[in-house]
Amino acid sequence: MLKFILRRISVSALVLLGASLLMFILTVNSGDPLKDLRESNDPNRDALIAERTERMRLNDSDWERYWDWLRGVGGCFTGNCDLGVTINGVDVLGLTQQAASSTLRLVTLATLLAIVVGVALGILTAIRQYSGFDYTVTFSAFLFFSLPVFWAATLLKEFAAIRYNDWIAEGQYAPLTIVIVAVVAAFLLQAVLGGTARRRLITAATVFAFVMVVLFVFNALDWWRNPMFGIGGVLVVSAAAGVLVTALVAGLRNRRALYAALTTAVVGVIAYWFTAPLLVNEPSWLLLAGLFVVAVAVSLAIGAAWGGYARKQAMLVTGITGVITSIMVVADILIAHWAGFLGIKSRPISTIGSQTPNFTGDFWERTLDAGTQILLPTVLLTLVSVATHSRYTRSSMLETLNQDYVRTARSKGLSEREVIVKHAFRNALIPITTIVAFDFAALIGGAIITEQVFGWKGMGALFQDGLAAVDPAPVMAFFLVTGIAAVLMNLLADLAYAALDPRIRR
Amino acid sequence: MTTLDISAPGSVSAAGDAVLSFEDLAVTFKTEFGDVHAVKGIDLEVRPGEVVALVGESGSGKSVTSMTALGLLPRNARVSGTIRVGDKVVGGLDGRGLRNMRGNDVAMVFQEPMTALNPVLTIGDQLTEGLQLHGIAFGKLATARAVELLTMVGIPEPERRLKQYPHELSGGQRQRVVIAMAIACDPKVIIADEPTTALDVTVQADILDLLRSLKDKLDTGILLITHNMGVVADMADRVAVMLKGDLVETGTADQVLNHPRHEYTKRLLAAVPHLGSGPGQFGDVAPVAAAPEDLPALDLGNLVIEYRRVGKPTFRAVDDVSLSVAQGEIVGLVGESGSGKSTIAKCALGLIPAASGSVSILGNDFTKMRGKELKALRRRIGVVFQDPASSLNPRLPIGDVIAEPLVVHKDGDERSRRRRVLELLDAVELPRSVYNRYPHELSGGQRQRVSIARALTLDPELLVADEPTSALDVSVQANVLKMFTALQERYKFACLFVSHDLAVIDLLAHRVVVLQNGKIVEQGPREEVLHHPREEYTQRLIAAAPVPEPLEQRRRREARHALLTQLGDDVAELRVEDDYERPTPRQDQGGNPSGLGGLMGAGGN
Amino acid sequence: MSDIRNSTSGGEDYEPQLSATSTDAVGLAAGGSAGPLPGEDKSYSQGQLVARRFFRHRGALASMIVLGVVIVVAFTSIGVGPIPGWWPKGYTLQYDKIGDGAPTWEYPFGQDTGGKDYFALVMRGTQFSLIIAFSVGIISTIVGTLIGALAGFYRGWIESVLMRMTDVFIVIPLLAVAAVLGQMAGGSGILGLALVLGLVTWTGLARLVRGEVLSLRERDFVLAAQAVGTSPWRIISKHVLPNAVGVIIVSATLSISSAILLETSLSYLGFGVQPPDTSLGTLISEYQSAFTTRPWLFWWPGLMILTIALCVNFIGDGLRDAFDPRQNRNKD
Repeated sequence: MLKFILRRISVSALVLLGASLLMFILTVNSGDPLKDLRESNDPNRDALIAERTERMRLNDSDWERYWDWLRGVGGCFTGNCDLGVTINGVDVLGLTQQAASSTLRLVTLATLLAIVVGVALGILTAIRQYSGFDYTVTFSAFLFFSLPVFWAATLLKEFAAIRYNDWIAEGQYAPLTIVIVAVVAAFLLQAVLGGTARRRLITAATVFAFVMVVLFVFNALDWWRNPMFGIGGVLVVSAAAGVLVTALVAGLRNRRALYAALTTAVVGVIAYWFTAPLLVNEPSWLLLAGLFVVAVAVSLAIGAAWGGYARKQAMLVTGITGVITSIMVVADILIAHWAGFLGIKSRPISTIGSQTPNFTGDFWERTLDAGTQILLPTVLLTLVSVATHSRYTRSSMLETLNQDYVRTARSKGLSEREVIVKHAFRNALIPITTIVAFDFAALIGGAIITEQVFGWKGMGALFQDGLAAVDPAPVMAFFLVTGIAAVLMNLLADLAYAALDPRIRR
Repeated sequence: MTTLDISAPGSVSAAGDAVLSFEDLAVTFKTEFGDVHAVKGIDLEVRPGEVVALVGESGSGKSVTSMTALGLLPRNARVSGTIRVGDKVVGGLDGRGLRNMRGNDVAMVFQEPMTALNPVLTIGDQLTEGLQLHGIAFGKLATARAVELLTMVGIPEPERRLKQYPHELSGGQRQRVVIAMAIACDPKVIIADEPTTALDVTVQADILDLLRSLKDKLDTGILLITHNMGVVADMADRVAVMLKGDLVETGTADQVLNHPRHEYTKRLLAAVPHLGSGPGQFGDVAPVAAAPEDLPALDLGNLVIEYRRVGKPTFRAVDDVSLSVAQGEIVGLVGESGSGKSTIAKCALGLIPAASGSVSILGNDFTKMRGKELKALRRRIGVVFQDPASSLNPRLPIGDVIAEPLVVHKDGDERSRRRRVLELLDAVELPRSVYNRYPHELSGGQRQRVSIARALTLDPELLVADEPTSALDVSVQANVLKMFTALQERYKFACLFVSHDLAVIDLLAHRVVVLQNGKIVEQGPREEVLHHPREEYTQRLIAAAPVPEPLEQRRRREARHALLTQLGDDVAELRVEDDYERPTPRQDQGGNPSGLGGLMGAGGN
Repeated sequence: MSDIRNSTSGGEDYEPQLSATSTDAVGLAAGGSAGPLPGEDKSYSQGQLVARRFFRHRGALASMIVLGVVIVVAFTSIGVGPIPGWWPKGYTLQYDKIGDGAPTWEYPFGQDTGGKDYFALVMRGTQFSLIIAFSVGIISTIVGTLIGALAGFYRGWIESVLMRMTDVFIVIPLLAVAAVLGQMAGGSGILGLALVLGLVTWTGLARLVRGEVLSLRERDFVLAAQAVGTSPWRIISKHVLPNAVGVIIVSATLSISSAILLETSLSYLGFGVQPPDTSLGTLISEYQSAFTTRPWLFWWPGLMILTIALCVNFIGDGLRDAFDPRQNRNKD
């Protein structure tokens, strides 16, 4: 396996090298870097031209310039990186560090979300093949495939940001809106859950009533402006998540797993109670990460203690439950800070930039700010990938469900849940890993546009400005970051592939 | 059609004991082309410790019948009639009841062990999940039971096997695992759907021994679905013959196989080639016409073929093989899967390069030729492949398929080609109207006839036939073989006939070459090799091939067991300890209140 | 009709097949002779079967009609080159503005800030976008098919080169390399742009075709053709590619829709169609800030792109279903 990885890395490095040469040569030949000066009427035009020619080494051959760039990059291995300077003499390395962090944050978040949502939708549509739900998701997927990204971005800005910001000033739903939301939610859920007509009707009625009540109560409490969740809410949601995870992974019949999940939720909430003072006031990311690791470790330990004969399954259940509980805890704290955040920033969802300039607030308010800034670009990037992943997962799942071993599993008497979760799902995931790696490159491409639309100063802007000025250094910096990210992503995909498929493990 | 039940009338009264029974079973599929009646009202039952063979050709509805017992038909199926498994009526069970029954009361052994096991789960996982599901054993107990099961079906080192994945086991071992899974919950009846069709003949004999000892020792009823009359003769207590959804004849194995009453059964039996009966079963093969000084049609000298593999040592598929086919002679090349027989055939066609050694066709060395010469040589060789589904280009009409070699070699004009094609269609007994049809409109047998016609288009002196009848039903195979012998008599071509079926080789080959692991084990005239084999491997091979006559097959089986004992091998059987405790489901584990059964869909089954 | 899937020796007959009268059994009943031919009355070639299945896909059929209408309207309304169309207004002329230029009967799509008829402008942009998309589709299909077929059939260095090329496109995002090439081709008009885009978008198709060819070349009918001495060229053109046509057509269709979007994105970034030429992408980027004041300037070109891409995607889906009937629509 190690040999395999090393071989992959060395091949990728060669490809990266070849691609960088291609990119460099194409970029420097894509136009005239002196165009703006040649057209200017500046009296010291010739001096400026000479200066730029000198700085960009325009008189040297392309190969020499490439070699020079490559040497600078090679310096990164010895600790003195040199990515060159821009057309105006700014050091590219500094620009890149800033840009890379915001872009990679965006793309990584979008990738993760797209995988989770896309795969889940794909599986649901495969199980509910040719249902109304399937057709709806399929149509939406095609719609998202066909959307010009920046056009959709403008719509998103208008409806998800500007209109929402107008609305949150009041924070009240009109009764008609509530009815419509409830009807839509009821329709969607019954379509997903399925069953007999009677069962669907009951589902729809329950959901409708629930949503109606909740939204009216929220209106009455002015919840949208002063939301709260509370430790009780955390407990209820975590326990419910525990039950759901058990049902999916082990089946509710497996009492040990169920009790383990519930224990995890309760222990998590108790821990929250004790650590709350620590968390609410100005924690550091390090502390949060540390607590998260502890939480997962404790969860796994609970699983191992309860597990008995099904220890592995129980640990999986408690592990997932523990992660969900942790997320609920963080969500609870964030929700509690929402009112304060609104006080500082009255129009919360912004459409420009990756952070609000001159924003002051405590740790959680800053987090909320970053979150509201990244929300729209992430949604936009995710939509397209979700469409791809869901379609791909659906067809892969349908293919798998037709296999002989699925028939074998059914003939043993396994329930449909076990057949899907244990036998079909993992096999269906195998081809998807490849697609995820490919899609990552497309996502980075999409990020160029998304950043432009939302005014992020990221890798996209670096690339776009550089290319427009025929300036290789920033373009190559863009290539370097995205290329290495893509290679790493590919490697991850390979590892996932090997982890999923024992036939190719060596 | 009416069923001729010639078994003793009294036996029907024992219906109360039956572990599996079908009463007036009918299955209809709704398709876009209208309703298809797959099973048309049949009655059948299986009693404890009894093997009932359900025999029929493809499309007869035998597998559909078996799947109804598990309630595992696709959604567009409509089932009527009563199916009982033990005391349960399958039609009356809900989703949970059905799942409780599957594995517990009735279990299934499938045809293809390569695909019947989940490739990403360990053997242990797949064995224990049924045990835990049905509440028989959990955790360490389940693992212990899994080890016990693997030991019972004769898999060595069971503890290690549990941690392995299916791809690490051989085909025969995988089928043993599938059988272990089937008997895990001690079902009353096992449905075995073509359990040995995908296996080599020696492995098949072992698996059949295992299944036989299983019904003897555990008193399990077995419904054996098969198209192989030899397997029927070897295994069955009673036989039911199906034709197009109807049961046309039932009775004891002796009654049905030795004294068939229904026309169809008679024809079916007559179509089965019988190992040991030699040529003449389906028409006579011409004697070899060539004089010894004539050049051989095919001559392989010290042939070595290797496959290079990335990251692994080179695999030697064929190792130092020398054989020759005289003009007008049919040489049968036999061996089990992986013996390299198809590789040799492909090399003789010039499709794979030889690593070393020589391949000469009528005195011309294939390996030393290029361009035009090579093309000219190729027109003297014809080829017929195994799989009729993939051997014809689906985009070309039949007329073009057969004329293609003429076009490639720029022979004749439009009209003469058409004449030649029609002539060949007559020769292979196909109506001239297929000229404009597409391959998908023809049946497997018809497609194979087209393949043979195409092979003969250029009047070749050598024909390479790679398992040409293996994918066909017996009756179709008989017709194709009959036609093949007639054609050989007429055109006098030499033939390298590759097959795993010794009975087919026995009825048409002049000489036989036996291969094992890429090496020649034995070669010589047909009577010598097949009737008086000298080598141990050939003896095993011949002993393992079943014949469609129960008494003779019993004798052959006993002789095989004697041979195995003499060679120091074990006879495959279920190893049951004296203190073997039959598993019982623990009821205290409750039902199966899996809350998401609804979310994941009851699956419509 | 006979059963499409031919049966291997027994065992798999529980799946419903197209015909109740399996012809093997008929052959037996007729005792030796080949028996009556299946479907004597009707003979479908593969192509006819595909067409039959395609026309049953309602979404694809509707998309086909909508796309047809869009194409016809785009090209006939304002005419092509010197040939005049039936729409009375031109896309270059400035007219007196009616009100703020909102859509009226006179100007169904409204007028732009300078008073130009927006319908004519959008039709002009649609023409350009369609031309680019179809050219890119055709070029990338030809290149991709050729390279994929060669790589799959010959293996060896052609295959390695292809695989490394694909790797390059994993490493450089397609949009980035397209932007660079788009800027290079900036001066040479839309056909130049189409050409360079076609030259970078073939890798996906080549991969698919290669995979298909790899499996086809092991099929018995290809081996049989080789054994008879058929030349490699004839094998590829007569036996391999016709059987890969499903993959090729589907993927060509999808490459058209992605080309439309790629062109739009490039034009938005300023590396695509350059003025004075107009594409739907340049229209949107030009008027995106007009969303709150003159929304029609934003909606029309966007909806046009969406319509075209959606139609093409649905047609692609319909074709995929038609060529790959494995996932049959057996509604219960």
